[in-house]
Amino acid sequence: MGEGDAAPPASAGDRPGTGATADDYRSRWTWERVTWGTHCLNCLAGCPYRVFSRDGEVAFEEQAGTIDPVASGVPDMNPLGCQKGGAWSAQLSSEDRVLHPLRRVGERGSGKWEQITWEEALAEVAEAVVAVLDEDGPEAVVFEESVEGGLLAQAPFLRLAALLGAVTLDANGLVNDLPTGQHLTFGKFSCASTVDDTFLADVLLLWHSNPAYTSIPYHHFISEARYRGAQVVAIAPDYNASAVGSDLYVPVRPGTDAALALAMCRVVLDEDLWDRQFVLTQTDLPLLVRSDTGRYLRQRDLRAGGDEETFHLWDRAGGLTAAPRGTLDLGTLDPVLEGPFTVTLADGTEVEVVTVLDLLRRHLGVYAPEDAAAICGVPASTIRRLAHLVAGRRVKILEGFNGPKYFHGDLMERSMCLVLALTGNWGRPGTGIQGLALAGLDGYLLFSMKTRPGVEETARVLDGIDQAMAQMRKRDPDATDEMLGNQLLALATSSGTAAPPVFFNYHHAGYDETWNRPEWSDPTMTKPFGDYLRDALRRGWWGGVARPGASTPPRVLFTVGTNPMRRARGGRAKLVDTLWPKLDKVVVVDFRMSATALQADLVLPAAMQYERVNVQYPITHMLRLAFSDAATPPRGEARTEWEIFSALARTIAERAVAVGLDEYDDARRQTRHAARLGEDFDLGGQLSGEEMVLDEWVRDSADAGTLPPGSSVERLRRDGSIRFTGLGTFAPGLSVAADVRDDEVMTAFRWHVEQHLPYPTLTRRAQFYIDHPWFLEAGEQLPTHKEPPRMGGEYPLVLTSGHSRWTVHSIGMGNRHLLGTHRGRPLVVMSEEDAAARGVAEGEKVRVSNDHGAFEAMVRVTGRVRPGQVIVYNGFEPHMFRRWEGANEVEPGMVKWLHLVGKYGHLRYLPFGWQPVPADRAVFVEVAAVPAGGGVDR
Amino acid sequence: MFTYSLQGLELSAAEAGPIEVEENETTARSAVYQFFGGWFATAPADLFDQAAEGKWVAGLTEAASLLPFGFAIGPVEVPAGADAASFAADHERVLGGGALLGGGGRADREAEIAAVRREYEYFGLAASDAAPRPADHLATELDFLQYLCFREAATPSPRLATSFRRAQRDFLDAHVLDWVPGLVASAGRGAGPLVGWTLDQLAAFVSADRAYVAERLGG
Repeated sequence: MGEGDAAPPASAGDRPGTGATADDYRSRWTWERVTWGTHCLNCLAGCPYRVFSRDGEVAFEEQAGTIDPVASGVPDMNPLGCQKGGAWSAQLSSEDRVLHPLRRVGERGSGKWEQITWEEALAEVAEAVVAVLDEDGPEAVVFEESVEGGLLAQAPFLRLAALLGAVTLDANGLVNDLPTGQHLTFGKFSCASTVDDTFLADVLLLWHSNPAYTSIPYHHFISEARYRGAQVVAIAPDYNASAVGSDLYVPVRPGTDAALALAMCRVVLDEDLWDRQFVLTQTDLPLLVRSDTGRYLRQRDLRAGGDEETFHLWDRAGGLTAAPRGTLDLGTLDPVLEGPFTVTLADGTEVEVVTVLDLLRRHLGVYAPEDAAAICGVPASTIRRLAHLVAGRRVKILEGFNGPKYFHGDLMERSMCLVLALTGNWGRPGTGIQGLALAGLDGYLLFSMKTRPGVEETARVLDGIDQAMAQMRKRDPDATDEMLGNQLLALATSSGTAAPPVFFNYHHAGYDETWNRPEWSDPTMTKPFGDYLRDALRRGWWGGVARPGASTPPRVLFTVGTNPMRRARGGRAKLVDTLWPKLDKVVVVDFRMSATALQADLVLPAAMQYERVNVQYPITHMLRLAFSDAATPPRGEARTEWEIFSALARTIAERAVAVGLDEYDDARRQTRHAARLGEDFDLGGQLSGEEMVLDEWVRDSADAGTLPPGSSVERLRRDGSIRFTGLGTFAPGLSVAADVRDDEVMTAFRWHVEQHLPYPTLTRRAQFYIDHPWFLEAGEQLPTHKEPPRMGGEYPLVLTSGHSRWTVHSIGMGNRHLLGTHRGRPLVVMSEEDAAARGVAEGEKVRVSNDHGAFEAMVRVTGRVRPGQVIVYNGFEPHMFRRWEGANEVEPGMVKWLHLVGKYGHLRYLPFGWQPVPADRAVFVEVAAVPAGGGVDR
Repeated sequence: MFTYSLQGLELSAAEAGPIEVEENETTARSAVYQFFGGWFATAPADLFDQAAEGKWVAGLTEAASLLPFGFAIGPVEVPAGADAASFAADHERVLGGGALLGGGGRADREAEIAAVRREYEYFGLAASDAAPRPADHLATELDFLQYLCFREAATPSPRLATSFRRAQRDFLDAHVLDWVPGLVASAGRGAGPLVGWTLDQLAAFVSADRAYVAERLGG
């Protein structure tokens, strides 16, 4: 009913006996003020909502639906939103909300707290930090990096960490959304187009993704593509919600996707369905490999003093020829794709060389559809059907973040990329692979480099970057801006705070014991994991970022919106029993009492979205910067992260001065100025608050061309969101390799395909052959299938996971509306056959166990899960399980040793990028009924 | 040589004190903004004397001599019998004694003041607390445009020059052209020839300058 509509007689809506009337009901949806809102749900969306408030409280929110159409003939993005965003306001008053600073008064995890003042809390944190700075140095102060909570939640603690010289554990190394296989192939991992590009595909492969659950705001593009005639194929072990709306469902055995993809490749090649020109220009398949060593033929093989990174192809007219490094355009070259050939090395010996395509054809010999069917469980006829379907059509893979969470997820992704390569499917509208979708907001990235606010400082920094890149270009004239940007980032990283968590976990959190269990790892490893790790460190592959070092145990841990107690694979044993005892102080900044907050020493209450200004992490999916305003003041004593960390910086400075620690040196022997922390944090008061900081980011982004001219917080407050005009000066924006136009969908990799810009890989081509000695030893130089290691032990069931429909991670686990949309508790989803075999009935209690651990939960028996598979959806807090033991108790969190490789072209650490990440899919378990009287309450 | 001076704004971070650069097309634009900013910041009694002495046309003509676009400067006709008192009365009647020159009649004036202050801040200025005019006063806004043009002319950095140029266009769009033409149309209808001359010249100039800047920026 509209506001002007006549109200029905009061009696029509009265509820007898309750005193409630229809007018009461109507008044529920009245308001005094409307602001913009969006949410920190970790779902790679930033959906604009209208937030309606009255009497200083949020009354409700609704999807705004205000996004302008972009491309003619392509559906717009409206309305953007889902039930999670629509229920956000319920969380403002959720019972798990933290409203005051709390100090633990009992044992850690005992649940005994006292309310303290902010001054007391900050003083206690400062005292702990200063003691560590004085005694062990700043490396012993560790922050978990986060993308949760939006940019204004992240920037303040990163700023303090940088000033301290502390360690920030790389967020992607913690959560593992890193598409390692994409990185191995393309030299980058953020390769996603805008989601409206989905509409332009002829074939959509929902592969390792369940967008009906996880991409609700964008899912309509899949349906609309079907109306346009696209075929939608769901490839998944279980008949998930996205499979329901597909044209073809392909049930693949968990962990065998590479075999399926490689068999498709075999059919495409055997039946000559491949895109020869695309393969020639875009990939490394024409490059020559020495048969004697398995290494690429390099210039230094051919002449003394030759280059290490010049590779070769065999030109039909000219024979052996150096492959161009500055362009993918072959010009007059006509590479021969089938060898062998003979070349003479620098020492006069003759060796045979073959093309990567030769090796690939040979390698695919074992992936005939019938052979692959025996591995992956997909009938050979279906494999052929799939291969025929993708050949000659515009194909897009909607991948999500499931693949990277398999131990051999990189092999699966490399194989999936190979399907796209052979069929010419990236860099054109309606193609590519959709996974991680980071867009660079230049103003945010410039923030830490500016020593004063304003446009002149921005110009100074950007001019400095230009000069640095010009210097680097002199050394490598063929390098693209993307490559130089990566080099610049690598330089900054070597002196920054970011650290891949793998070393922290190995040295300090007890993972050494787990990762060195050979029976849970890959059988092609020739030595224990620890030997590989030490070898990688000894060779300097992780120079400067393997922090804190083995001899520097962490003493203060900050988590700001992250939740390691819920997230960390390995469960309580790793954190509570191993890491926690080393920590003098665990400080949690959060708006809710998470599982980690429950184990903290101090919990500091943070303001939530709708109580503060914020913008979401910019992503290419929607390519808009979405704004969230302060509709109401923060509840209780909650503060924003800017307020918290600027106050903490001042308090640390005061404490440091009081104990005579005006300065100290960090592990890199850089002098840090503790006494100046407060003024350095806010530039002597020039950064007057977070809204001003945000305005700097937005204006600087406009100045750099990422946002439209004239962009400001004022404009965000008016329009709610602003579409990007460019992808910026820095990685990761440049990695998308596409222009942003105001009347086109944005398709990633167009620069590579249309402008022939090379890839930032070792070979400067999409690289399917990795000739690093460790990869050769492992037999993974080409994409291949390997069975998942027996993580957890020899048990018959395979545990997988995924995001649920009702929450991303644990953020919605205290939302009474969302909890009411399902059973509101953890579930073990298993097949009817497996349940029957174990005498387990729907709704009963089960115990899931393996050699690593166990947990208990209610079982949900369903026909949509295949026999042999068990699913526990992601996000349940440990305290929702009995004894606070959740699904991560059975997940060893194994990491793949090959991901320790460094100093090999594109295989080097950059923040959020290439690094070992924990696997939690395809863990082997057994499920058993819990005897009556034990286990979960019902 | 062109020297800029600011009346309602303070340098907050960058260079302090007078700076001189060779006169050119851009300093000419700065000078014209300086002329108009000065006009709207000057007491009516002083303005009349200047008009009577022919300084308005002379001052504007000199300022505009190097403008890169056509800008016709009409003659100022001082009515027979006019004096400072009658001019002040007209000024008071048409511009509300200056009251109409602040805020453009916006409903949310507080937000507008915050917005323009932030503009000044980002480009290295601060609205002076000691200034006799508010941050959204027409004289202050024209002062800011004078500054942006001058900085464009003075900076050795091509990147920064572009930033200052973009800022001129954006500030004109967001904070000048969204209310000045309306003010001129409504107030100018009943204005006497002196106030009317100024309003007409200003309206013509900001419109032409906006078109010129946009063209230089490629649209």
